[in-house]
Order: sequence, then structure tokens, then C-alpha cells
Amino acid sequence: MNNFSIIGKPIAMVDAAEKTTGAGKYTDDLSVPGMLVGKILHSPHPHARIKRINTSRAEKLDGVVAVVVGSDAPNPYGILPVGHDEHALAIDKVRYVGDNVACVAAETEAIAEQALELIDVEYELLPAYFDPEESMKAERDFIHENKPHNVEKDYHHAFGDPEKGFAEADLVEEARFIANEVTHAAMEPHSTLASFELDPHTGKLGRVTVWSSTQVPYYLQHKLSLVLEMPMSQIRVIKPLVGGGFGGKSEVIPLEIIAAVAARKTKRPVKITYTREEVFWAHRGRPRTIIDLKTGAKKDGRITAVKARVVQDGGAYCSYGVVTILYSGALLGALYDIPNIQYDGYRVLTNKPACGAMRGHGTVNVRFAFESQLDEVAAKLNIDSAEIRRRNLLQPPCITVNGLRVQSYGLPECIEKVVEGSGWKERKGKLPKGRGLGLACSHYVSGAANSIIRSDMPHSTVNVKIDRDGGVVVYTGASEIGQGSDTMTAQIAAEVLGCSLSRVKVVAADTDLTPIDIGSYSSRVTFMAGNATLRAAQEVKKQIASAAAKKMGCGPDELTFRNDVVTRNGSRNPNPAIEVVSRAEGQSPHPVTPNPGATRMEHPTGSSASVSGHVEGQILRGSLQQKRKEDETPRESMSFEEAVVAAIDFHGALTGTGSYAPPPEARGGKHKGGGVGPSPAYSYSAQVAEVSVDEETGEVTVHKVWAAHDCGRALNPVAVEGQIIGSVWMGMGQALTEEMVWKEGLLMNPGLLEYRSPSSVESPEVIPFIVESIDPEGPFGAKECSEGALAATIPAIANAIYDAAGIRLHESPFTPERVLAALRAKRNAKSLNLTEGVDPTSPTRFREHGGAVWFRGKGAKRYEADRMPTNSATD
Amino acid sequence: MALTDFQLVRPRTLDEAITSMRTHADKSVRATRILAGGTDLLPSMRQKLFEPEYVIDLRGVHELRGIRETEDGVEIGATITLNEIEGSKLLREKYPVLVEAAKAVASPVIRNMGTIGGNICLDTRCLWYNQSLAWRKSCGFCIKKDGDLCHVAPGGTKCWAAFSGDTPAALLCLNARLEIASASGTRRILVSDFYTGEGDNYRKLQANELLTKIILPHSSSGYRGTYRKLRIRGSIDYPLAGVAVAVKRSNGHVDDVRIALTAVNPAPMLVPGLAALAGNGCIDEDAAEYAGTLAARTARPLTTSALTPEYRREMVRVFTKRALLAAMQS
Repeated sequence: MNNFSIIGKPIAMVDAAEKTTGAGKYTDDLSVPGMLVGKILHSPHPHARIKRINTSRAEKLDGVVAVVVGSDAPNPYGILPVGHDEHALAIDKVRYVGDNVACVAAETEAIAEQALELIDVEYELLPAYFDPEESMKAERDFIHENKPHNVEKDYHHAFGDPEKGFAEADLVEEARFIANEVTHAAMEPHSTLASFELDPHTGKLGRVTVWSSTQVPYYLQHKLSLVLEMPMSQIRVIKPLVGGGFGGKSEVIPLEIIAAVAARKTKRPVKITYTREEVFWAHRGRPRTIIDLKTGAKKDGRITAVKARVVQDGGAYCSYGVVTILYSGALLGALYDIPNIQYDGYRVLTNKPACGAMRGHGTVNVRFAFESQLDEVAAKLNIDSAEIRRRNLLQPPCITVNGLRVQSYGLPECIEKVVEGSGWKERKGKLPKGRGLGLACSHYVSGAANSIIRSDMPHSTVNVKIDRDGGVVVYTGASEIGQGSDTMTAQIAAEVLGCSLSRVKVVAADTDLTPIDIGSYSSRVTFMAGNATLRAAQEVKKQIASAAAKKMGCGPDELTFRNDVVTRNGSRNPNPAIEVVSRAEGQSPHPVTPNPGATRMEHPTGSSASVSGHVEGQILRGSLQQKRKEDETPRESMSFEEAVVAAIDFHGALTGTGSYAPPPEARGGKHKGGGVGPSPAYSYSAQVAEVSVDEETGEVTVHKVWAAHDCGRALNPVAVEGQIIGSVWMGMGQALTEEMVWKEGLLMNPGLLEYRSPSSVESPEVIPFIVESIDPEGPFGAKECSEGALAATIPAIANAIYDAAGIRLHESPFTPERVLAALRAKRNAKSLNLTEGVDPTSPTRFREHGGAVWFRGKGAKRYEADRMPTNSATD
Repeated sequence: MALTDFQLVRPRTLDEAITSMRTHADKSVRATRILAGGTDLLPSMRQKLFEPEYVIDLRGVHELRGIRETEDGVEIGATITLNEIEGSKLLREKYPVLVEAAKAVASPVIRNMGTIGGNICLDTRCLWYNQSLAWRKSCGFCIKKDGDLCHVAPGGTKCWAAFSGDTPAALLCLNARLEIASASGTRRILVSDFYTGEGDNYRKLQANELLTKIILPHSSSGYRGTYRKLRIRGSIDYPLAGVAVAVKRSNGHVDDVRIALTAVNPAPMLVPGLAALAGNGCIDEDAAEYAGTLAARTARPLTTSALTPEYRREMVRVFTKRALLAAMQS
């Protein structure tokens, strides 16, 4: 067993009290004197040229301070250097229903909303594209003029010899899979507050402070600098508490720029908070994906080749699209040993809100297709689903055919855990009719080895400062968005320094205070910011050790830091509580969970005998007093505070810096697009789902999910379990109920009533298993734990439905109508005319409806049969 | 989305409520809205579906409270919450179908606020209607609000917005009456006569009238049955189809079968032609199947909500069959 005092223990999140009591402040909770409310006018058309905007009527409304339009901030931006195709407010064209046209800054929300109705915009309508495969055929009226045929980017990769691989196969399976569009549905809608200060010398607008619900404060700072034409040092981005991101806040969202531009124009602070509908329009979720997948295998189940053609319906802007389409191909590798891979990926523009990064970025939809098809291969070869996966395991350490380096690899153990936990061997295929088990696996990166900003700068840097009383402050740019980043940072610092967690304060995500970190996305924080924290803490620890060692008459290597005590190795009294310096009761900045299993001493109270006491002025006098108290004989241990005081006396300020950059060996192949997919480490997941299918209604119920996840080392097991359960739950939403439904570019369900994330009623029991493969490069061996598990849930459910009812679903979500249609098709029963969305070989009708079977109204257009427009429309 | 300015009127007696309705309702068609639980009204006001000058809050009117037995049957005050109906021993014992339907409404949080009166008067729903002002503007509005088009039926001049309350299906089965008060007195109307079948003018209630109580007749108190609701989530959702079944039995014989549907037409509807089911010793699979077919024929779902109309109609059939068989067990 390990010998950690804080790592590996279940620790309450350091911000738990704030969040659970409501005391914590999210961006929308903030206000500053003189603050205005911003409201955005959105385009009613999916594709149109703006001929004229007249804001004069709106400006005259009492309470309106300014109306902002595109020409107020004409510089383009975008999250990727190759994708600077967005404007905060439309310049010449709108590209989706909901695109941003103008913004009113007014004294109240009601006035701003009223003013929106007074802005006159003249549009010239353009042909619009809603289906990616149709959009690719376009010859004119491209969504972006520099993107012919509306293809944002296409990649064509071949690794190994795919043709030879298929020729060698005994069985080749081929099918089209469709995963419909889903969105993050984070609890907190996006919100931004921007406030300028006056320059003390010129009296003109100077620095700006932007509070925003973001996963990427430094990217926001950078894009603001591009659009506002201000140096980054003049822009301070602060991230308050964030109520969930899931990728939806991992790039610059229009309101963040618009709020700053409006604040500049009005010379007053401006806050914009999206309505839920606007959150859906800002979107950046998982694109609808069409996957034509082909898998070849030998009789023994060994995969010989995989070919995937992937078309992603990316929406109107690039966003993270180029990265998404590359991940979809790259992550075919690094899970199983696949000798030959062919990949053709198309990221296509359509007149719908932009898709972007979402939990399991790029891998989820392709994984659904792959794991479903692997199950079909297994069934045809008469091999058990778990067994076929075992036969295709990698042999790490290795580099996959597409250039991904794999070191720690807990997949075999993950499979064993869920097979055992679910009673797979005894129960699979033997459950009563209508009930079944399904198994699937997945993996994900622990951060990208190559950052999207294409810079050699470290991906994370962390500063640590220790105060004279032993208080530790960690400055990190990593963004806590609910995933536990601040807690992880505090844990690592406390473990390295051997101090109690309550001593550690984390200052995070404030660009004025914290060193640069590229943000909370692609599951990079624990691995990268964690490693940077580890190194920063080690640097400080070295300084403390050298000073303490001098006092204790030994070498710095002979000291152990643990439980707020520095002890000489081999001493007989390694844990002299009496020596521990107290901190006043109630000073603890963060609550710590009672932790009966831990040997770690709880935070000592003021009543214990103290060396330097905690009376007024004591901290400064401390070392002098200690000197007097010291014997001539070297001591065997000293308190953490004493050691800190000694170090400060010796070194002056006690600070340390650590940073992390992925090693060159992990940065992947040299092929075009080879920069996306490589990661210093991959997490692994295996899941078994137990479902039942109602054969008369098509309703699917998920009863239980066994989910094993290899996270390297669980720094905080309770947080890891939470992430596994959350991933399963979110994956289940995509598998069964969640779907963005479109009609001629109109989102039919832009709210949480009609966009149906599962409620607690549908939530199955999830049994998490933590598998620890101890990664050689992760901090204490840790890897990611918050995204990888999601991708396994969808195919696990699909495979369980197959086991339960004998139907293979090729399109997600598996809504009751799709399931029922498949059941009827199987029985050759009277068709319900529902099959067009289910059978991927007859997609014409399906495409006509922009993606979903569940909505088939006639649409927004005026049809010939409709009455002529009347003027007495209103009551 | 901000609420537009309005005056909140908080009457303490029924007289005050009716007086203020008469005073304000005459000014213009959309001058007043009634607030009972507010769970449907307030989101709709934010979406600018209603922009009333006066909102009359009935929560302080004690005459609208209470569940009591009278000569006519059991009276339920219009502002009794759905949660209170669920918890009523009297109703559970005498009119279990209503309790089942009340339990199926939305989620516990909403049932704590939402009232039986509100559920009966609930506005009809359609994907093209229950949207924000900006959204509706982008599709050119629709017949039900601000426009002249129906996006559900090309060339249509009728509004097909679906009535989506759960409890009226049960009330139809129980032959319930509604008491409606206005300045000129009170009137009673059968639930089956209350709805018009027009999505945009769905109920027979004048701007100066108030639903005050629901009367469940003694003659319906022997009915056993259940309510089945089609929805994607097990909570929160409005019905995509709802089937209430009530069966009266005596001495091993089926005396009467009533089935009512909701969420598949602009009005909740009783399924006609069920007389043949009565008089038998029990209702078997075949009879239940037959009832299901009749129910499916009564349902006219259109693309006003999630799931395809074909599927919803099919579920009316399946749910009716299942509910009827379950009612025979109860």
C-alpha cells in the first residue's frame, strides 16, 4: 500500500461549503455600481446578408445607454488559430438562427428587451444548408466564402495497410451509424461582466476586468486582446465559481466579447447572462455525426483493419471543429491493437449553431459506432463480447500505428472488474426475454500533448508561496469548473509539503495573479497542472528542507515531511504531537472531511502545547524564541511552521515555481493532423449496462451500470467516483433521450423542458470501480477521470439492447419510437412508418427533417397551401 | 427573459376576486391573467405569450380551498394543489383515478405549487407556440399567437395545439362538473362540455369568469382505474399522450367502462363506443385490444410535441389496453 497522508483519501471539495449553502458567487451573482444589462438581438434567419441595421429607434428609448453592432468590434476571432471566422456581432452576414446581430445596453433587462424590438434590420435571404451531406454539394452561397463546398476541413489518413488488412480478414462488417446532436446543458448559463477602469494619466478608458463563466480565462484574455486591440496585460480575466462547463465554456463565447465591447462603448460596466435558449444557440456541443464504419477481423476475433468515414455537421463556425474531426480519427487508436486504420473525416459547415468541444471531445460518437460494430463482429464469430476485447488488447509500452504513445494501460483490469461485478459469465444471454447485458470500452486523453496555440510555452505553470505561519498559497491558472481542480491542487501541494490540507489556499484563474495555464479542457488539469503543482511544491520543499536540515544537523535527504511535522528519518519518535505548532481554532480556510481511515493527524487546535505559541506578534518573534528553547543537541523533528520560519530566515521569501510541458516522445506522428490525439497518458474504461426493453412500447430502461475506470491513481477517490457516475449519466442521456431537433435551421427544443436530460427517476444504479495503473509520468501516477468513461456508456447500452431484444440500433438516441420501429422491422410486422430515421440506408426523408424523426411538422416556411398573409395578425 | 410590468392583485375573498376580474377584464381581451400556482403562467409570461396588465393571485382566497363531501358528491376547491389531491385519503378511497392522474403531473416540486384548477385551465401546447418571442418571430408566428399560419398543418386554419393537462382525462372518466363564478352568478358545466376542441380558443371560460370548484358526483365514486402517461422522462415532462381508465364493477360484472385521452387532441376526450365492453364478467385481452383500437381512433396527435404522431397514436392503443387490464386487477 502507498504511504500517502492526503493523496488517495476521500476529501470534500474545497468549495463544497460555498456551493451547498448558496454563499458562493457565480458570475451572474456579481454586480458593480453603475452596471448595465446587455441583451443581444439574434438573427431570425438561418443564412442572410445584412443590408442595413438601424438602431436609432432603440437608442431613443428611455433607459437605453447604447446599442452595439458589428462595426464596433470588427476584428475576427476564433478558438483555433486556423479558425478565426467569428465576429462578436455579425458584420455582413448571419449564419444561423440565433446568430448575434446587435446588443442593447440598458438600465434594466426589461428595457433592453423592449429596445431589441426597436432595432430594424434589413436582411437579404440566402439559401441555407442544414444537412452536412447536402451542404458539401453546394456550388455557391457558401457559408464562409473561403470554405468551398462548405467543407471546413477534411483529412484522409491511412496507417499500416488497410487494404491488405481487409483482404486478410475472415469477416468484414460494414454499417452506417448516426449520432444525433447533443449539447452540454450545464446548470449555469453563460454569464459575463465587463468593467473598464479609467487610465490615471489620460482619464480615458484604461484596463478592463472581465468576470466570466469560462473554462479558459487565458484564451479569453487573448481573444479579447485581439478584438479590443488592447495589450493582454491591460485585460484581467477572473473566473468566479462556474456551474459546469463540459466543454461549452472551453472557448470564447460571443457574450464574453460583446459584454466587453458594450462596456467600452457605454463607458459603464455591462453584464450579460444568457437565457437558456441563448445557451442552446451558443451551443458548441457534440456535432451530429454520420459514421460509415468497416471492421475486418480474423476468425479468432483479432481485428485486421478498420476504415471509418466520418462526416460531422459542424454548424456555422469552425470553433474546435478541426480538432474534433481529428480526434474522431486519432482515437480509433490507443484503445485496442489495430494494425491498419483508414480514416476519412469531413468537418462540414451548416447553417446551425456552431458545434465545439463536449465531454469526450471527438471520440464519443465514433466509439459508439466502433463498439457496436465490434459486438456484431463478436456475435457473428460466436465470440463473447468481453473475450473479443481481450483478444485485441495493446501490449504497452508501445506506440500505436497512428503514432500514439501508450504507457499505463488498465483496460484489461477494467474489463475483469465489470465482468466480475455484473456476473457477466453467468448472466449474459441468460436473462429473461426483454432484459439484457451489454459491454463496451473507451479511453481518453489526459490533456493534449500539443496545445492548440502551437507554442512551446509550458501548458501549465504554478506558483507556490508559503507564509511565515506555515500557510501555503498555490497560484494556478487552472479553472475550477466543478470538476475538483482546486481540491486536486490543494491535495498535491499538501501531500508534497507534508502539511495539512487546511493550510493550503488555492488562488486560481485570475490572469492578474496566477501564472498562465491553458485551461480546463481535454481532461488536462490533473495531469498537467497537477504535475506543475507537484514541481512547484517540491521546489519550495527543497528550500525548507535545506534550512531544516541545517538546524537538525543532518542532510536534507534525511528528512520526512508529513502531518505538519518534519522528521529525521529513522528517528524513534516520528510523530511528536507535542511539538506541533498550533494554529488558532477556526482559522481553517477549508473544511476537511472527517477521515477515519487516514493516519493523518487532524488539524491541531490552539490548546495543544506550542513551541512558538499563537499569541499576537508571535509569528515574527517565533524564530528567536525557538532559538532560545533549542538544546545544543540536534533535534529529531520540528514542526512544519518552525521549518518554514527557518527557511524564510535563511532564504528570504519562500516561493517556488513549477511548470509542465508534455515530453517530446508523447507528441505523436509527423503526418498532417498528427498533432491531435497524442497525449502523455490515456485513461481506460470498461462498462457493462443492464437494460430492459419493452417490446410493445420500445421504451428502454437502464437498470444498472458497472463502470470501471483506469485513472492512473485516484488522488481523491470520492471525486473520481463522482466523475465516473456523472459520465455514465451524461452518456445515458445521449444514448436514450437527448437530441437537438431541427426544422429548417430552427432548434425545436431550445430549453431543458423539451431537451430531455435524464431526471433522477431514470438514473440507474452505477457501480464505479477505480482501477489504478499508476502512470509513470502522471502526478503520483494520476491520469484523467472525467471524460473517458462517457464514451463507453452509449455502446454498452446499445449492446445491451441487442442482447435484450435482438435489435441493433444504428442511430442515437435510442428513443422509444426508433426502438419500436426496429422491433417491428425485425418482426416484419406492419410498419408504423417510423423507419426512415432508423434505417440508415433510406435517409432521404430523414435528412429532410434535419436530423430527427420526432419532429415532422411542415416547417417555418410559408407554403402554397397557406393563406395569404394578413395584417390583422395580432389580437 | 424579463417579466413585463404588471399589477399584482391579491384578493382575500371570492367576491373581491370576482369584482377585480370584472373591473379589469373588461378593459381589453388580454388585460388579466389568473395566477393559482403559477407554474405554467410565469414561464409563458417570460416568453411573452401573455403580457397582462393585471395578474390576479388567487392564493389568498380561502373559499377556493378545501376538499369536502357534500350532497352532490365531493367538491374540490380550484386552488387545491396537485400534491394535496395526491395526499387526500378521501379522494384516494373514492376517486383513485384522479389521484393517479394528479401524481403523474410534472414533478414533485411543481405539484407542490400547481393546482387542480390550473391543470384544468392549462393553456394548450405546441412546439411552435411555447417558445420565446425571438424564436416565434423567426418562424413568422402562428395562428395561436400573433400570426396567421399553422406550422403543423399546411394551409390549416385551425389551431392544433394539444391540451396537455393530466387530470382532466381522469375528471372526464369521473363525469366531473366545474363550477364557474362571475359577477352575474355561478354556473355548473360538465368537464366534457368545458373544452371546445380549438387549440387557440380551447375552453369555455369568459374573461370575467372564474373556475371555483370541481364536483365529483357520488355516482362515480365506485369507479376503479388508473392513468397512464406517455413521456420521455419519468418526471417533469408534459404528457405526449395520456390515458385514463375507470371501470365500475359489481357482483363480478363490468357495469361501465370509461376511457379518456389527453395530450393527443386540442381537448381531452372521452373515447366513444365502449358500451359493448360492459355487461361481461371481465375484460380479457381481446376486449382490451378492442378498446385500445377505439382509443387510437379517437386520438388525433399531430406534430405539436416530441415523438412522431404515429408513435403517439400507437401508444394510446397500447396504454389503453394496459390500463384497462390493470384496472381489472385493481
